[in-house]
Amino acid sequence: MFQSIVSYGLAVGAVYALIGITYNVMFSASRVFSFTAGMLGMLGGVLGALFINKLGMNAVLGFVLVLACGAVLGLVTEILTVRPVLKSIEQHLYVLSTLAFALMVQQVTAIEWGTEAQPFPPLVPVGEGWLDQKFWLPLLACAVTIGGLELLYRKTLIGRAFLAIAEDSYAARALGLPETRLRMASFALAGVIGTLAGFTGAQMLLAFFGNQSILNFYGFVPVALGGMGSNRGAVIGGLALGLFQQAANFLVGGIFAAVAVFAVFIVVLLLRPEGLAGAATARRV
Amino acid sequence: MPISAPEPLLQVGGLSAGYGKIVVLRDIAITIGAGEAVALLGPNGAGKTTLLRALSGLLPRSGQVRFAGREIASANPRETVALGMAHVVEGHRVFTQLSVLDNLLLAGYGVASAARARQVEEALSFFPEIAAKRNDRAVTLSGGQQQMLAVAQGLVGRPRLLMLDEPSAGLSPVLVDRVLAAVARLREGGTAVLLVEQLIEKALAVVDRVYALARGSIVLEARANEPDLANRLERAYFGEGAHAPLNA
Amino acid sequence: MTEATAPIRARAAGAGWLAKLEGRISWILLGLAGLLLPLLDDSYIGVIAQRAYIYWVLSAGLNLVVGYAGQIAIGWVSMLTLGAYTTAALAAGNVGTPWPPYLALLASGVIGAVFGVIVGLPALRLRTFYFAMTTLGFATIVTQVALAWKDVTGGGVGTPGPTFPWPFDPGWGFYYFCFVLAALATWMTANIGASRYGRALVAIRDAEVAAEACGISKPALLMMVFLLAGALGGIAGGLFASLQSYITPDAFTFEMSVLFFIGILIGGRGSILGPALGTLILTVLPEFAAPLVQWSTFLYAALLLLIVLVIPGGIADLLDYKNRRPVPQPELLGRVLGTQGGNTLITLSGIELHFGGVRAIDGLDLEIRAGEVHGLIGPNGSGKTTTLNVISGYYRPQAGALRIDGADLAFEQPHVRAQWRIARTFQTPRLVGAASVLENVMIGGTVHGHGTFAESMLSLPRHRLDERVLEEAAMLALSSVGLESLAKVRADRLQHSELRFVEIARALMLRPACLMLDEPAAGLSAEEIRRLGGLIKAISRGGTAVLLVEHHADLIFDICDRVTVLNLGKVLAAGTPAEIRSHREVVSAYLGA
Repeated sequence: MFQSIVSYGLAVGAVYALIGITYNVMFSASRVFSFTAGMLGMLGGVLGALFINKLGMNAVLGFVLVLACGAVLGLVTEILTVRPVLKSIEQHLYVLSTLAFALMVQQVTAIEWGTEAQPFPPLVPVGEGWLDQKFWLPLLACAVTIGGLELLYRKTLIGRAFLAIAEDSYAARALGLPETRLRMASFALAGVIGTLAGFTGAQMLLAFFGNQSILNFYGFVPVALGGMGSNRGAVIGGLALGLFQQAANFLVGGIFAAVAVFAVFIVVLLLRPEGLAGAATARRV
Repeated sequence: MPISAPEPLLQVGGLSAGYGKIVVLRDIAITIGAGEAVALLGPNGAGKTTLLRALSGLLPRSGQVRFAGREIASANPRETVALGMAHVVEGHRVFTQLSVLDNLLLAGYGVASAARARQVEEALSFFPEIAAKRNDRAVTLSGGQQQMLAVAQGLVGRPRLLMLDEPSAGLSPVLVDRVLAAVARLREGGTAVLLVEQLIEKALAVVDRVYALARGSIVLEARANEPDLANRLERAYFGEGAHAPLNA
Repeated sequence: MTEATAPIRARAAGAGWLAKLEGRISWILLGLAGLLLPLLDDSYIGVIAQRAYIYWVLSAGLNLVVGYAGQIAIGWVSMLTLGAYTTAALAAGNVGTPWPPYLALLASGVIGAVFGVIVGLPALRLRTFYFAMTTLGFATIVTQVALAWKDVTGGGVGTPGPTFPWPFDPGWGFYYFCFVLAALATWMTANIGASRYGRALVAIRDAEVAAEACGISKPALLMMVFLLAGALGGIAGGLFASLQSYITPDAFTFEMSVLFFIGILIGGRGSILGPALGTLILTVLPEFAAPLVQWSTFLYAALLLLIVLVIPGGIADLLDYKNRRPVPQPELLGRVLGTQGGNTLITLSGIELHFGGVRAIDGLDLEIRAGEVHGLIGPNGSGKTTTLNVISGYYRPQAGALRIDGADLAFEQPHVRAQWRIARTFQTPRLVGAASVLENVMIGGTVHGHGTFAESMLSLPRHRLDERVLEEAAMLALSSVGLESLAKVRADRLQHSELRFVEIARALMLRPACLMLDEPAAGLSAEEIRRLGGLIKAISRGGTAVLLVEHHADLIFDICDRVTVLNLGKVLAAGTPAEIRSHREVVSAYLGA
């Protein structure tokens, strides 16, 4: 039982962490929390099953195609739901525009793919128990993503431009950085990370349209815990959440797990809205 | 009137700008010749920062703005930077989480990568103090050093016009002199400078000409070495002489 | 369904009854249609109508949260789920002995109220997204619990819904039950919407900081609204369980939330009739367009996106109030302040405030006296607006004291300033663009009302008295700044300079002992500044202490009795305007030499 709590918990936690990073990558470039994060996670599984199971594609080709779809959806999100709202006075309307877009995609999925959860094909035909790919694949994806982002931010000029925009978009604009293009790039990147999360986690979570709202919420909890914009916080928060959830599921029961996560979420929001590791924010006058 | 070169570097006419419904600038006309240093003075709230933002494209504006022979009234900051206009914004807003070098490399984002490193070194050569700290994160710099870094950022693109918004704010007198000395050196090197400054005496020492802005309009234009300038400025700010007091 | 469905109430005596009838006529027609529907004796239509009523019971409360307070509650279906399972489980005896269904319904209202407040907690201090996420998370959790808690909810298999005994037994009896509850929900929320509480909610939505300065306490008010919306949602759930006769977690999809939400948005923010019609249409429409049912949620979501991108205010924003903007009149000075004789004295002593290492205010002493205009000038960053914000209670200085008439005034409590009759305006006018000018001004008098939330909800006499008094006072205040002819115009149709005067009128609603003006002349023309100067002077002569932060030197020197010059957070000079003008150091500091 211990083994399954840890392996399953870490794997689910890695998916949550990746969705949290998806939120963060979009947030850093635009100050927008987009409800499309869960949608991307859901689509990673559904599109993967569609390409590989239904259309019989090669697994690698299917994988690349899924990520490409994620990038395109990220771009569409930016152009359709974020850019117009950032131009208007009521910027908080992004909450509704991104939600509406995510719901539209979810409904198309429900109608075209079906509302039943469907299995996801195994990709690497080896391993049992700890070595089952459904456990290590999300963790691997999480590690690769963190490493890749770290390289991007530390070693490339465009990565530093992301950091600059996240810190002070006004100064970045004054320097002549192409803010719009960088924002599009970060949404495309978020699209890739989100679908990667869904794709690698789909053996556990299945290809199911209902994963959207679950991932939207459980993927945001690590962000709230770890502080918005902090990828390290999202990873720690995500893994902790996954482990806690599985442990509670096995030891106390699902009701307690769900209620406890929600209670912790509310309490953290109320007491430490900047996240357990974040810095305080300024006053608005 | 301005020194009339064949065509001035910057020529602005009928410029209006503001924030939403609030019109801050009305019908602004200024010119700056190539290689000329001009100070923009005025009491706080007059619209100096707004004018710089409107010129560099950070704010929407209407009117005519000609720069280096091109109409740029609808250009965005990226385009004005590419044309050779650099805007060092108020409050030394550098990227504190990045190294000094990274800050400067970002300022050269639009520069071809082959030339970028060279131009960054060039900009650093103005400020040996921060050149020594090139690998430190900007958060470790003092306020004065951050301001130098901000000015250096403006220089990376080898601008034809450098606009500085209160580079002296929050600096000790020694540091102010050092920043303004850089301005003087730039002018000698042929770069035009538009300087917004509260320290009038110091500003006058490094510029050729001044414009004074009050209540959103240009109220005075003069050469920097005119004798009665202080009094003329005072009159321009407070309004001309006596007013009829209300209800009194 | 009596009062005030239209957001503003016509004041003119002649056309008054007609305007009122116009506002009411839609309700009368809707009510008649509902009452007479059973004559058709078509049980299919009856069921659809019952569903519409039940949805509206929930949406009526949600409308206060979304349409009035502007909180993005996207997962409110969770209240329906909670209410349905509470009623069903209690009535079926899944928990102890079976409860009578009516009592179980009441219990679901209570449960809904409790959870409405819990889910609403993050909205009290965090930005919109977090509250949206919390409601979404709660909806997810409730469904998961409903699936897992098999003893009580029957898990995925479900549990039977309650059957209400006579007089509201299934069929037309239950129909009238739903109808009456929907009517009741409408009446109560319409009362709230048209009361000072409704205006305060809208003020929190569109001008939060100004709302605080008017003495509106956001947490207390939002709690009441979440409580009401949760209770109505719970009761709707109980009715829904009975209508469905058998409930499973699948019955409560997130898509229903979208329906509730979009129904309100289509109807427009800050309206009751609009969202009611929106909910009705969205419930009924799929019944007549069967092929579209599958795509209905997709279409709702697309509609939501369209509304957000094209008309963020909803359809109601497209309908202008009928009056076009008339020509402003010159001000009629002095009437509004009445006979209040003032001798208020506000003193700041030794105030020190730093942000990190920066000293924004460095040992400031200041006295603001009744009947005087006190000018506060100085270069950028000298601490003028910061001083004003300390007095208005936005900052907590590290040292020093703030007293009014000798009593200590607590720091960092903006909303208690109104009780001391300290009013202010803002550098950038903060008004509710979607509300009329009159409503905006009435917001300024919120703390003068006496009726409670419940009294307003039930439209009891004290509430009606409040409304009459507030409206008269607001018209008077508007007249004094010369804008009474604009009373019914939407505030966002006004010019910038007019907004400044509306803000002053709103501040006058407090009959202020102290009025603080933050750069009131910014963006005004010379003529408007002259009018403003006359107005400020007249206000101070009525006994109000005026603190004026301003850059326009001419205005300061014209109307101030006393001027304090700040530099680097310290007093550089203080005295009469004449003294200040001849003060060499001041002239150079102000000019920055």
